[in-house]
Amino acid sequence: MHIRTALLLLMLLPAISFAADKGTALKADILRAQPYSDAKAAGSLARGERVDILTKQGAWLKVKTAKSTGWVRLLSVKRGTSGSSATGQVSGALNVASGRAGTGQVVATTGVRGLSAEELKSATFNEDEIKQMESYEQSKPAAQKFASSGGLKAMKFSYLPAPGAQP
Amino acid sequence: MIKRSRLVLMALLASSILPVQAFDLNDALKGAKDAMEQQKGDTSSKPEDSKAPETTAEPAKPAINLRNPSQAEEIQIGREITGNLLGASALVKDAALQRYVNQVGRWVASQSERPDLPWHFGVIESEDLNAFAAPGGYVVITKGLYRKMQNEAQLAGVLGHEVGHVVKKHHLKVMQKQQLLNIGAGLLGEKYGKDNHTVEKVIGSGAEVLARGLDKDAEYEADRVGLVLATRAGYEPYGLPEVLQAISEADKSDKSVALLFKTHPHPDDRLTKLAETAGSRLDKITGKTLENRFYKLKP
Repeated sequence: MHIRTALLLLMLLPAISFAADKGTALKADILRAQPYSDAKAAGSLARGERVDILTKQGAWLKVKTAKSTGWVRLLSVKRGTSGSSATGQVSGALNVASGRAGTGQVVATTGVRGLSAEELKSATFNEDEIKQMESYEQSKPAAQKFASSGGLKAMKFSYLPAPGAQP
Repeated sequence: MIKRSRLVLMALLASSILPVQAFDLNDALKGAKDAMEQQKGDTSSKPEDSKAPETTAEPAKPAINLRNPSQAEEIQIGREITGNLLGASALVKDAALQRYVNQVGRWVASQSERPDLPWHFGVIESEDLNAFAAPGGYVVITKGLYRKMQNEAQLAGVLGHEVGHVVKKHHLKVMQKQQLLNIGAGLLGEKYGKDNHTVEKVIGSGAEVLARGLDKDAEYEADRVGLVLATRAGYEPYGLPEVLQAISEADKSDKSVALLFKTHPHPDDRLTKLAETAGSRLDKITGKTLENRFYKLKP
């Protein structure tokens, strides 16, 4: 019980950032009364339907539709309302405002900023750069050590089937 | 469907074959292959094999057997492509950043079927939103894309997607088809026939193969692999979907996403496919996001 409460509190932390978020259903899905796949149905979600995202818990989002409130799998809902690019533009503007402005000149002098198809086609081999890239190679044991230091543990998890493929 | 046929067309145009063959790519490939086998007799030509009378004065170049390349050859191809990419946009000169990305990347790649490739990861100066993979374990992401990320799980998901391309040999397969087409074109038009095994011929010009992109299914497959590898590595599975969300918020007319949107399905479609394929499989998965350890770019 204690563990569960602690877990719940932990899950609630990132919920703050979801607080007033709008979302769009990426696929039709069932709303559940609780964040479990076998919980009672509390409504349904149509593809493209707009929702308010209330909170996040593990693999689940609590959302409010025009008709009902319930839990749906996180991947079924996209944050933001599709068709509107307002959020992206705002965050882009913020990036520029937050300290990047001063480096604008420096970036410009490094030459190529955009990577168009033409620029890739006309690119020429740079031995120094590739050597440098190769110099940062990490060994498998080193990566394992790095993972452990972050508390990461490898786990078994099967590859996902292609949609429509037989399970 | 329209996009796919356009891709085929582009590939065909690139190899200067008449677009009429786009009606049946498989036949064209088969024809090219058969013709190649007839012409060469011994198709399993070894690197030093050059029995054909040479009339050109060019020095012998390292030969690549693209039909069934060894791991060393695969790495050689990937190195050439990546070296060209770095010629277009250099590495960010921040050793701590590059080391960090290699640590995360190598750990993610260690969860794949090819844990023992000499994996190399890098962040380049471009402010575009994009990431690239080349055969043999070379993975590059742009600074612009790195900026969109907020935690290590997101980085792991993105690197996992690129590792997926390498493990599934997506680019290698595209180049194999391309080489067959080139040989076919050579037989038709006497343009390519002779020296089609050198690295340059194999990869086309510059980092062209990266600009051309893969087909949609290869991208969806890499998304699935990326999500799975990050999950196996102990991260929360939602890193890659979160980055796809961030990309989908970018203004389509923005130059920084032009190439990404040209070479990949729309992020919304990729998210939908991931949701469909994941189903209930992620319900019980917990994992780490490690935002505290995520390396902050120098201002």
